[in-house]
Amino acid sequence: MFQVIGGRSVQVTRLLAPRRAVLVEAVRGRKSRTDPVAKSKEGRIKVPPPVDPREMVVLKERFAEYQLITRALRLEFKEEVLRKKYEEETGSLAEERARQEAEEHCALMAFNNQENLRMLEVRTLRVQKEKEEAERKQVEASVQREQQQQEFIKEKEKDILKLQEDAKNFITLENLDRRIEDALDNPKNYNFAIDKEGRVVKQTMLQ
Amino acid sequence: MPMKGRFPIRRTLEYLQKGDIVFKNRVKVMTVNYNTHGELSDGARKFVFFNIPQIQYKNQWLQIMMFKNMTPSPFLKFYLDDGEQVLMDAEGKDHKQIAQHVKMILGKSEEVLQAEARAKMQASNPANFGPKKYCLRECICEVAGQVPCPGSTPLPKEMTGKHRAQMAAAE
Repeated sequence: MFQVIGGRSVQVTRLLAPRRAVLVEAVRGRKSRTDPVAKSKEGRIKVPPPVDPREMVVLKERFAEYQLITRALRLEFKEEVLRKKYEEETGSLAEERARQEAEEHCALMAFNNQENLRMLEVRTLRVQKEKEEAERKQVEASVQREQQQQEFIKEKEKDILKLQEDAKNFITLENLDRRIEDALDNPKNYNFAIDKEGRVVKQTMLQ
Repeated sequence: MPMKGRFPIRRTLEYLQKGDIVFKNRVKVMTVNYNTHGELSDGARKFVFFNIPQIQYKNQWLQIMMFKNMTPSPFLKFYLDDGEQVLMDAEGKDHKQIAQHVKMILGKSEEVLQAEARAKMQASNPANFGPKKYCLRECICEVAGQVPCPGSTPLPKEMTGKHRAQMAAAE
């Protein structure tokens, strides 16, 4: 029948009379506005429950005292919690702790920076060493290449000289006749066997 | 249930709870730059592989980011909540050394951790009964060996207040 209201209308009605904790308004229950009253409830006059004034007075006093005490206790505990929290965050001890922590942090950062510098030095040394190694290797490689080139040239020169030497024994058009005569005059025998040392072992007789 | 991954021990609760690096509340973001190849990055790689799960388990609200092959040398960087950045060189170091160094500069010390544990124990007194959010139990009927809750099994007649009142009235 009564329903809690919330929203824009609440703010206005909150300023007005009701002292209940929750704002309520009348709301139709199961029946709509056109439904007639039930037959058993036709002549009913709603009467509030009877109140004994003296009992009411006594009860009111007692309740007032009780509520006063419980509200006071509740507020006391709330205040204690808030005070503890405040002390924790912005009390004198907290400041001390914060200062100490800041100091420690500074010290640790300094230590870290020192470590980093040390690592930096080690790293520069290593990089330098590597560079030197690389340079040395490069120089060695170039020297090697030079040497190889020189050897190659020497080989080629030797071949040329050998060729020049052989060229003296070549058969040319002028030598042709003489060489033919020489060949016919000196028959050579190629039928021979040699052993492992290269000495001639057997030789057939030339016919 | 098969074991997953190369070192499945990293996924066990026991291993994760063994992690001892708890960062101070000021540290908000941790960044690890390392390389996937190279002798110098080996310690950082092992650190990422073995120690990062432990750290994340102990610092659930810490953001950890990993960057691979961005710089020639590996390092760690921490971002605190007042904007300060702490750089830590990790080149050539062993993963244990890195973990120890990190713990020394930005981790909570042993005394602080113990004090926090003690405070938590004080707050969670097993003798308190109340909502499940704050206390272990709500009612004594939840404890094994005590009288069960009358909501689930009715109490024997002799223990009900009604019966006792009747007995008292009969005398």
